[in-house]
Amino acid sequence: MDEKKRQIQAIVARTIFIVAVLCIWEIVAKSGIMGSNSELIFPPLEAIGAAFIRNFQTGMAGVSLWVYIGNSMALLLEGLVLGIVLAFALSGLSMLSRIFYDIFNLVISICDLLPGVALLPVVIIIFGVKPGVIVFLVVHAVLWPMARNVLDGFMAVPRIYVEAGMNIGLKKSSLLWGVYLPAATSYIVSGLKVGWARAWRGLISAEMIFGVASCPGIGLFINQMRTNMNNAEMYATLIVIIIIGLVVQYGVLSPIEKCTVKKWGMSR
Amino acid sequence: MTEKENCILEVRNLSKVFDADTEREKDVLRNVNLSVARNEFLCMLGPSGCGKTTLLRCIAGFESYEGSVLVNGMERKQPGIDRVMVFQDFNQLFPWKTVEKNIQYPLKVNGIRDKAELKQRTEEVLAKVKLSGQEKYYPYQLSGGMKQRVAIAKALALKPEIILMDEPFAALDAMTRRELQEELLRISTEEKCTFLFITHNIQEAIVLGTRVMVLAEGGRIVEDEKNVIARPVTPASEGYGEIWERMHSALYK
Amino acid sequence: MKKKSIIKLVALCMSSVLLLAGCGNGGQDSKEAGGKEAAGQEVTLNLAYQYGLAYAPLGIMKEQKLIEKAYEEATGGKVTVNWNQMSSGADINTGISGGSLDGGFMGVGPAVTGVTKGVGYKIFTNLSGQEHGLMTNDENIKSFDDLIGSSNQIALVNIGSIQHIILGLALEKAGKDPHALDSNLVAMAHPDGMAALESGNVSCHLTSSPYIFQEREESNLHEINDITEVWGKDDSFIVGVASVKLHDENPQLYQALCDAVKEAVDFINDSPAEAAKITCEFDGNSEEDELAYIEKSKYSVETSRLFELASFMGRTEFIDSTPESYEDLVFDNVTGD
Repeated sequence: MDEKKRQIQAIVARTIFIVAVLCIWEIVAKSGIMGSNSELIFPPLEAIGAAFIRNFQTGMAGVSLWVYIGNSMALLLEGLVLGIVLAFALSGLSMLSRIFYDIFNLVISICDLLPGVALLPVVIIIFGVKPGVIVFLVVHAVLWPMARNVLDGFMAVPRIYVEAGMNIGLKKSSLLWGVYLPAATSYIVSGLKVGWARAWRGLISAEMIFGVASCPGIGLFINQMRTNMNNAEMYATLIVIIIIGLVVQYGVLSPIEKCTVKKWGMSR
Repeated sequence: MTEKENCILEVRNLSKVFDADTEREKDVLRNVNLSVARNEFLCMLGPSGCGKTTLLRCIAGFESYEGSVLVNGMERKQPGIDRVMVFQDFNQLFPWKTVEKNIQYPLKVNGIRDKAELKQRTEEVLAKVKLSGQEKYYPYQLSGGMKQRVAIAKALALKPEIILMDEPFAALDAMTRRELQEELLRISTEEKCTFLFITHNIQEAIVLGTRVMVLAEGGRIVEDEKNVIARPVTPASEGYGEIWERMHSALYK
Repeated sequence: MKKKSIIKLVALCMSSVLLLAGCGNGGQDSKEAGGKEAAGQEVTLNLAYQYGLAYAPLGIMKEQKLIEKAYEEATGGKVTVNWNQMSSGADINTGISGGSLDGGFMGVGPAVTGVTKGVGYKIFTNLSGQEHGLMTNDENIKSFDDLIGSSNQIALVNIGSIQHIILGLALEKAGKDPHALDSNLVAMAHPDGMAALESGNVSCHLTSSPYIFQEREESNLHEINDITEVWGKDDSFIVGVASVKLHDENPQLYQALCDAVKEAVDFINDSPAEAAKITCEFDGNSEEDELAYIEKSKYSVETSRLFELASFMGRTEFIDSTPESYEDLVFDNVTGD
């Protein structure tokens, strides 16, 4: 009952917040307080709404935004899966070998600081001009924060679980699989959250800078709309990006959390 | 049966040093020798810091040490399911597994895959600790006493030769503690199993142990005797007062 | 409980208002700049430019304080000029429409887009022309026919950039669809594109000075279909734009800006060696290279084929609306076509 009340309260508060923001936006757009050109920078909501529909109907160069989203999502998924698998594999190896751990820790600290976009020139020379470059950047965006979280999670596993595991005959890799991994789940889930957000952002900024016209993604779409000063279309695309982000957050990540750490009483 | 065959666990010249070669160097255990007979319930008393927990952890294989630990005459260095440990910490159950899975997982790890057998063993041990019907709960839904019962059930399911218990009831309230002592006493008489039980509580040691022992600093054994009082032991039992007195004076000398 | 939640909601709304008001402030402050004439009074001029040789006259204007001098001569007043380096014409367009910039220098592509979109500026001067070229590392590619429908990739600085439009022009001149090669394009900054071409990661690179000169010197690269013929160094490449507000409300400052550009362009044409000495630092070239590049560029305040290009852009849907006349694009002091 109390939980339900709190949920309703949260929904009401959020709705009011969003409506307030939209109202302010509309006032700024219509009143011209940002100068005579404010409609150009802050298109009114109805213009953004119309652009939203137009994006999906006519899109750009005769191609609907769906196609751009599809291209982006395919690359993103490829990169995410690769990045997550690598993060687990490398973190797991670090737990089995002390030397590997020392090196990998350093590698994470260094690589996590490098903005993916700054690596573009190097990546292009190594990989060539292919959509694979974008996949590489997504992997780069996911791998390090994910590996950092997984490793931190492994390190934070209470001694008692490890000993309880050893007690029943678990060794090295079976201990990793049977104890470290499930015990670090809350870290892994927060790693997934950070990794997903980084990947999504990394993908779009990479696409904005490095546009492959044969495999155009959302980033290219936004950049094009910006170049052509179609700001309503640009904002509409940003809204699409937000919606996709929220769908993943509430449709994928939250359920994962619910059936693991929340169900196990490891997090509230 | 000769005495040698009857001896299940033997500790020979066991020494353990913490923080070796530093300023804080400390010998926790110095040349400890101990032998435990099959099906004995050995209770170890001792002041804090006397090394009793360390001794148990060495026997369990969680610590490195000098000397040797033999089970049935065979040297043991690593943890193994012939010596299963029940910890004091309530968190020894895996929170990501239900009661049932917590009991079955160790069995699966050790090669028991048959569903029917897993189920049958689970039911059996849960009945022993009086938790029948609680299979589906997650550990966070259980009280401290129930968690310790599950931990004991988990150990029993593995059918180990030795169960090592490190103050498993110390963090429980007095009533639950009394209850669990009774359960454990019953289990220990029913099972063919050797127990090594650490406690701070003289009453607990006398009630449970068939042999009681007091350790002093460095793991030195200062008192070691068979508990011959007729079971069940109560403070009113004949000889209780004398043995309590001897243990007490050995502890606080 | 109820009261408390209402208070919370009000606080929420307030905070969001503050948030947006905070964002809005930037625009408000800069609105003052460049406004208010009144001779003798101190004014501010916010200009944006981009990186590269084509912007060389601006280095001279900045170094020799030409705008400040011209304004003082004309009015006796003082002007503070803020030069902002930005990375694309689209950024400058946003800056001017938001009112934080009074003018800027950019490629003809985004400038025409900005004017036709109603950003509130017009072109006030031409600045420079450069050579452009389409280079390839593949011996088998000799003309557009070898590229259309193939999987060969063409690197250029941005989709919708002047290089892209020039490619469209060249395609049209060759009797092809101006957008026939759009799906072969890869957007890459000039130096990245050059590296990709040299390493064989793309097969073509459409670029401008000075990269085109460097690529032409490499023996394993050759030039396809002379882009120079379609849009050469005599044709408008970089132009200056000024807000209508600056032009209408502060004509003296506007005039000082025009005069300063003219003076800088004259200086660079009359004594390129001295100009190179000043600008080589900005561009990071050696003095000799800088001089060589300057001599291969064209600096002029007179536009060339601007309206032709804008009409082409409108006709071939690079922009949404076509300008009616040359005068729609430029202020009335600008000469050229």
